[in-house]
This record gives sequence, structure tokens and C-alpha cells, in this order.
Amino acid sequence: MSLEEDIVSDDEMNMIDEDSATDSEAESLSDSDTENEITEKLAEPTKTAVYNRDGLLDKLQDISWPEDVDWTHKLTVEIDQGQAVDVNDDLAREMAFYTQALEGTRQAFGKLNEMGVNFLRPANYYAEMVKSDIHMEKVKSRLLHEKKQIEESEERRKARDNKRMAKEVQSQKMKERAKQKKDDIESVKKWRKQRQQSGFSDKAGEPELDFESGKSFQRGGGKKRPGVSPGDRSGGKGRPTSRMGNKKREFRDSKFGHGGRKGLSKQNTAETTNDFRGGFRGGRAGGNKRQKR
Amino acid sequence: MGKKRKHSETLAPAPVKKNDESAPERPKRTLLGWKDKSEGEADKSKALSSSGFRNKEKVLVTCSRRISFRYRSLMLNMVSLLPHCKKDSKVEAKSSKGATLNELIELKGSNSCLFFECRKHKDLYMWMVKSPNGPSVKFLVKAVHAMEELKLTGNHLKGSRPLLTFSSNFDKDAHWKLLKEMLTQVFGIPKEHRKSKPYHDHVFVFSIVDEHIWFRNYQISVPHNESDKIAKGGLDKMTLIEVGPRFCLNPIKIFAGSFGGPTLYENPLYVSPNQIRALEKRNKAGKFAKKIKAKTRKKMHELSNPLEPDEFADMWKDDE
Repeated sequence: MSLEEDIVSDDEMNMIDEDSATDSEAESLSDSDTENEITEKLAEPTKTAVYNRDGLLDKLQDISWPEDVDWTHKLTVEIDQGQAVDVNDDLAREMAFYTQALEGTRQAFGKLNEMGVNFLRPANYYAEMVKSDIHMEKVKSRLLHEKKQIEESEERRKARDNKRMAKEVQSQKMKERAKQKKDDIESVKKWRKQRQQSGFSDKAGEPELDFESGKSFQRGGGKKRPGVSPGDRSGGKGRPTSRMGNKKREFRDSKFGHGGRKGLSKQNTAETTNDFRGGFRGGRAGGNKRQKR
Repeated sequence: MGKKRKHSETLAPAPVKKNDESAPERPKRTLLGWKDKSEGEADKSKALSSSGFRNKEKVLVTCSRRISFRYRSLMLNMVSLLPHCKKDSKVEAKSSKGATLNELIELKGSNSCLFFECRKHKDLYMWMVKSPNGPSVKFLVKAVHAMEELKLTGNHLKGSRPLLTFSSNFDKDAHWKLLKEMLTQVFGIPKEHRKSKPYHDHVFVFSIVDEHIWFRNYQISVPHNESDKIAKGGLDKMTLIEVGPRFCLNPIKIFAGSFGGPTLYENPLYVSPNQIRALEKRNKAGKFAKKIKAKTRKKMHELSNPLEPDEFADMWKDDE
């Protein structure tokens, strides 16, 4: 685990404490009672407080070990803290402790190294640890869980970003396509004008191009009915369910219909206007058929 | 069995010392009986005799009754960190607890004590006592995090001797000096203690910030090769991982005796948590009283300074 991670976790741990930030210490994790207004220290030190310096020094003399005690008995290191540490800044405080420990360890290890003592635990030295294996398993699973969560959230964010990007790309493409189309139409128009101006306007040779409306070369509004004859009003459905069961009925159904629009089949077209072959009574095809029979 | 061994251990150093003065050729007495000199033991006894000092610290660790589980787990963590301690059953926190504890310390053959006293299920006080003739310190313990918390990911050998690092401001005043000496003696594991292990893989931090002593415990992880020597540049690559527990000690008083005696030091900045809570409560309670007071004051003010009668009051009435 790197230093940064460690510190971050420390910080998280102190997050809950931060509501009691005015205290000189962070409150414990479970008690979240806030003591915002009241500081834990008196603003001014009381004058009546006892301070028996001689007594303290006497006691220190009493209990302290002899002067010439070997350092290996004590294993103490003093580290200068540098400038004063702000207690309420959790990160700075923890960092100060960490650097103190690190510096101290470096000095102590230097001393131990000089003495030539083996002080590092060999890899094959197994012994009881302070925390049990079960507990360390828990710690590990928690770390893994945290890592997984971070990864998952990262993935989600990535997916979101991708989606946004795709949308943008799509809209860009659409715009491009529209522009392309417009340019094409423009160019054709230009070409046509040029042709007209140069006196090449051959009506028969020029195909009827209806670019302006944006429609392609389709007849009948693009409505195709496979298997149905052009005049058929039944939409091809008359045949299988013909009631008379003969061709006549079929024909009649297709002519007079079973619903649908009637109008067009009775109207004259360009060809039938001056065509009197079928007489006035009948249409062109039906009448003919009937007469023939 | 255990008791016998302990007895022999406590007696062992004295004859060794005597032997060195009078008859150096006599075989040494060790824990397992009389033995011929082997190289290792010779070395050891040499080291012993050179300074003539042996750390025989034994710490009694116990707590008051009705301690909350968080504080108890803190105490158990301390027990697991200090192999030279003896844990004892809970003690009733009465005014006479000092005498009881002194007796207990004597019974257990220890010469210092950590007593965790929990009051109102909220406040933890810790006594750090040298026995039998003092001094003793009473701390208020705050910001407690036990070792069991999953955020503290380090681990180290049980019973390995910690390095003790102190911030340099422990030397600035007499009472800090005394505290430093006591902490060194109580938290330092005696060299060659039978339950200790010969490697150093964790470090304690005692740091004074804001007139409080902060405690941290870190695991040391150094890249080293198999010959138990630090690899080149290993010291620079060294990282620390926190093991816990964490706590913060606010010294309240230092007494000359063990669990009592004349006061040598009193923290001038200390406010007891009870006072803090009471103040908080009073602040809360004052709200309603203040409101009523303000109301009555307003009324009194209005009565004492009545408004002048309005000269235009019945101006429109006349028109009708």
C-alpha cells in the first residue's frame, strides 16, 4: 500500500469526526455528538493550577534509568516536528505523525545497522501476529471490495462518456449528410440551368427529374402492391374468398369491389377519353368481355 | 510452572552480577539451571554486566467495571501490544480504588500500571502509574480507534519490540520530560523479555500536538534481502502502514505517589467533559427562558414609555 492510499484512508476515517472540528481532538467514530460551540480548552490557562517543577524533576530523577544505559534498552528516537501542526487539519496532523515515525525509524535502523544486529524479520520466520489471520482476511476483502467499487464506478462513468460522444458523432454525421444532399441538388440545378442556357433543352431527351420535391423516381407514390393488378380494389383479397366461386364473381369483385375507393376505375384516363370501342355503357375491359361472351 | 519460571527469572540477574565481581570462572546460572559458558550466553552476560542494568518492567493493565466495549477493546489492544504486561480482572472505580490497585500491583509483582477508568459510559480516563512510590498521571483519553477497525491495514509480530519515537517538544518542560520517561518505561518492551521477539517491525509515535499526546502505531515495511540486511536504498523505500490503535491523551494531573499523593502538576487548560456537557445543556435550556425574558422586557419598556396620544386619531370621525 502506498503512502497516498494510506493517508486517504486515514482521512476517510476522520471524515466522520469532522463535525466536531472545533474540538482539540476528533471525537470517536461512534459518538457523533457535535460540540461545535464549546471548545474543550479554556481560552486562558487558570492561574491557580499547581506546577511543582522541583517535585517533577525529583520524581524524574527517581524513576529514570541510569545514565549509561545502552540505547538498545530504550529504543527511543527524538524527532523535531518542525513548525507547529494544526490539530484540526486531519491530513496535516496525520502526515506529521507519519513523517515523525518514518524519520525515527530511519535513524533507529541506521543505529541498529551500525551495531550489526539482525533486526529484520526473515521471510521464513513465522510467529503469532498482533492481528489474527481471520481479521487480516477481512481487511483484505474490504480493500478488494473498495477497489472493485472504484473500478465499477469508473466503468460506469466511461460508458456514460462514450454514450455522450456517440450521440455527438451521430448528430455530426446527420448534419454532414444533409449538407451533402443539399450540395448535390444544388449542383444538378446548376447543370440544368447551364444546359438550358446553352440551348440544349430537348424535352424528350431530358428525363423528368423531380429533385426539388426530394422524391426519387417512383410512380404511384411509392405504394407497391405485389400480386395485385392495378385496378384491383379488393387489394388481391377478393380471389380466395370469392362467394360465387367463379371467374365472373372474381372479376366483379375486382371491378366493383368489396369496399375501397371506387372512383378511379370509373374515371376516364388519357387513353379512354376518345376511345369509344366499348360503347357508352361499359368500361373498356369489362364491357368488352361481356360483349364477347 | 509459569510461576516458578518467573521467580527464577527475577532472581537470575543478581547472582550473575555477583559472580562477575568475585569469581569469573564459575559457571553461570541460567534459566534452565547451571550451565557451561557457550559463546552466545557469554556475550549476553557481558552485555548485562557492562551496564549492570536490566529492565524488569512489568505493567499491570486493567480497567474499571462498566467499561464500554470500545474502550475495553482498546485495553485489550494494549495488552496484545505489551507482552510484559499482566491483565487483571476489572476493578470497581470507587474512591478507594487507589488502595485496591496498589495492592493488586504488589500482588502481581509489577512495578507500573495502566488503569482504564470509564465514567458515564462515555469518558475514558487512563491512569499511568509507577509503583510503589509514584509518580502517577491521569489522562483523559479521546479520539479512540481500536486495532480492529478495518481501515487500519497493517499487522506486525506479536511481542516484537517497538521503536519509540518522541517529538522534540517533549523536552521543553519538566512535566513533559517526566511523561516521556514514564512512556518510555511503560511502552518499551524490556530487552530479552521472554515473550518478546528479536525483530523490530513496528514503531510507536508519541507526539505532542496542541498540548495533547497523540499515539500512533505503524508497521514498518522495508525491502530487505535474505541476509537480514537492508538492501541498498532500502531505507528510502521504506513505508509505514498503520496498525492501530489510535488515541489521544490529555494529561489532567500528575501525582507524586502511586494513585494519590500530593499534586505535582495540574493542566491549566483542562475542562472536564462533564463541565462541557453541562455548558452545552445550559446553552440549550437558556433558549426558552431568554425568549420569555425578552417578552417581559418589551412589555416593561412599553409601559414605562407610553406612546403619545395621536392628534389625528378622530379626524375622520368628525366628518361623518
